[in-house]
Amino acid sequence: MLGLNELDYYEVLEVPRDASLEEIDRAYQILHEAYATESLALYSVFSEGDAELMRDRVEEAHRVLSDFELRREYDASSPKATGGVPVAGDPRVGGNDGWAEVSPLGSSPTLGDQMEEPEDGNWNGDLLRRARIHAGVELEQIAEITKVGIRTLRLLEDDAYEDLPATVYVRGFVTAYVRTIGIESTRAVASYIQRLEESGLDEGRGRFLGRR
Amino acid sequence: MIRVQPKLTSPFQAGSPPTRAPRLIALGGGKGGVGKTFVTTNVAVTLARMGHRVVAMDADLDGANLHTCLGVANPEVSLADFVAGRVNEPAKLLIQTRESNLQLIAGTHSNLHQPQPDKTRRVELLRGLRRLDADYVLIDLGAGSQPAALDYFLVADEGLLVMRPEPTSVENAYSFLRAAFYRRLRLAARGHGVRELVEEATDQRNEKGIRTPHDLMREIEVISPVEGRRLMHTMRAFRPRVVVNEARTTADIKLGFAVVSVCEKFFGFKADYLGYVNYQNEARESVSAREPLCDYKADSDAARYLSRIAAKLAGVPLSRKGEP
Repeated sequence: MLGLNELDYYEVLEVPRDASLEEIDRAYQILHEAYATESLALYSVFSEGDAELMRDRVEEAHRVLSDFELRREYDASSPKATGGVPVAGDPRVGGNDGWAEVSPLGSSPTLGDQMEEPEDGNWNGDLLRRARIHAGVELEQIAEITKVGIRTLRLLEDDAYEDLPATVYVRGFVTAYVRTIGIESTRAVASYIQRLEESGLDEGRGRFLGRR
Repeated sequence: MIRVQPKLTSPFQAGSPPTRAPRLIALGGGKGGVGKTFVTTNVAVTLARMGHRVVAMDADLDGANLHTCLGVANPEVSLADFVAGRVNEPAKLLIQTRESNLQLIAGTHSNLHQPQPDKTRRVELLRGLRRLDADYVLIDLGAGSQPAALDYFLVADEGLLVMRPEPTSVENAYSFLRAAFYRRLRLAARGHGVRELVEEATDQRNEKGIRTPHDLMREIEVISPVEGRRLMHTMRAFRPRVVVNEARTTADIKLGFAVVSVCEKFFGFKADYLGYVNYQNEARESVSAREPLCDYKADSDAARYLSRIAAKLAGVPLSRKGEP
């Protein structure tokens, strides 16, 4: 077993040596938060000094492994290099110490895999919010990616139909929202818009905005 | 949702010899009130409805209430009768619940002086559990890290660590894991100096400065590389499965991933994130109603997540969306 300082970058990020860029980014996101100051998971075990060391190592590992050139150089120089940048057909999945060992229980919950579509296909704001939380996405992130204002996103989640702009815009917002959290968009958007239209609040609102 | 597909064999058929030993699944977590009994209840009922023959055992002899959650008001026999020697075969402790595939071993009527069975009795109990004609035996360990709870956790095929996203629960969960790890190591350690070293490390303020199982394994390797390698191999079987209960936020859900990483980086052993159950008022209400949530509010998110945990334990492959 290795001390924090002796772990190589793959061990730091807990990814196999042939991890894709996506896996590396995902692992980084998780560990970045896991070792953040005030992280609940560190309580009673990690000292602030150890946590800081881990944070540095996670940042460093991510910087190198997420850069194609740096990663290739690192793999070439690393004494433990048995895998490296993925090559099609490489049988050495997992590489060191069974990192990619398949759990008999199947996969861990991955963020975003736990929300399902409601059986009646009825998407309202509350369901959007729950889907977002289960996908592990903050409202601020959606706002940043979609450029839809955070206030509008909140209105979507609150089903505040009367305060939302015309349906044509709402359609675009909901589409952007659900795509960001990784949900198949067509049905969710259609369902949300249908509810909006059935509420009877959309018409008046459309006309009001149309007058402006 | 889990589709109910009853097996053709009738549950607990009298006279039919067990085809294979049941899988033991222990649910611990150190802290009281984190939802061990709630998770045990619902996973047991879900597994039973999937067609498996399930026994749920309440090893929490100080604070038994699994029977209540399963709707058995006054258990006539309990584990306490086994501890006291009034019953010698665990099969005779079984109580039928409302669920046809699910039987209970209650934890009521314990002897206040010595609630937990002594070591010999524990071994007999575990042997008896393995002989039960069932597919799964779920063991609700109750709070604390007393030897009996640790032994059930270590002997079980799956050890589930239930925690709530709060510092007190996280702290006790780590203490529980640490205690379990050291106990396993102490039982496995051989050779001059190694056992003593493990004993010494159990005291967290030991003079050698061994703080974690990780440190200890390194020390063992130093004094005996062969024994170090052997123990490392043995301890690989120590693989707790984390369940986060009452998750309200994204951060709560992510706690499971973080705890798994801390187990690896700090303690030096691997854990898995088995799943989480979201916070829901109906969950609390179901306990008050003395009904499993999967009956009380079957279509709730929490009931779905519990059924996923059950499906994972049963090895049912989950689809991309996490549907069994």
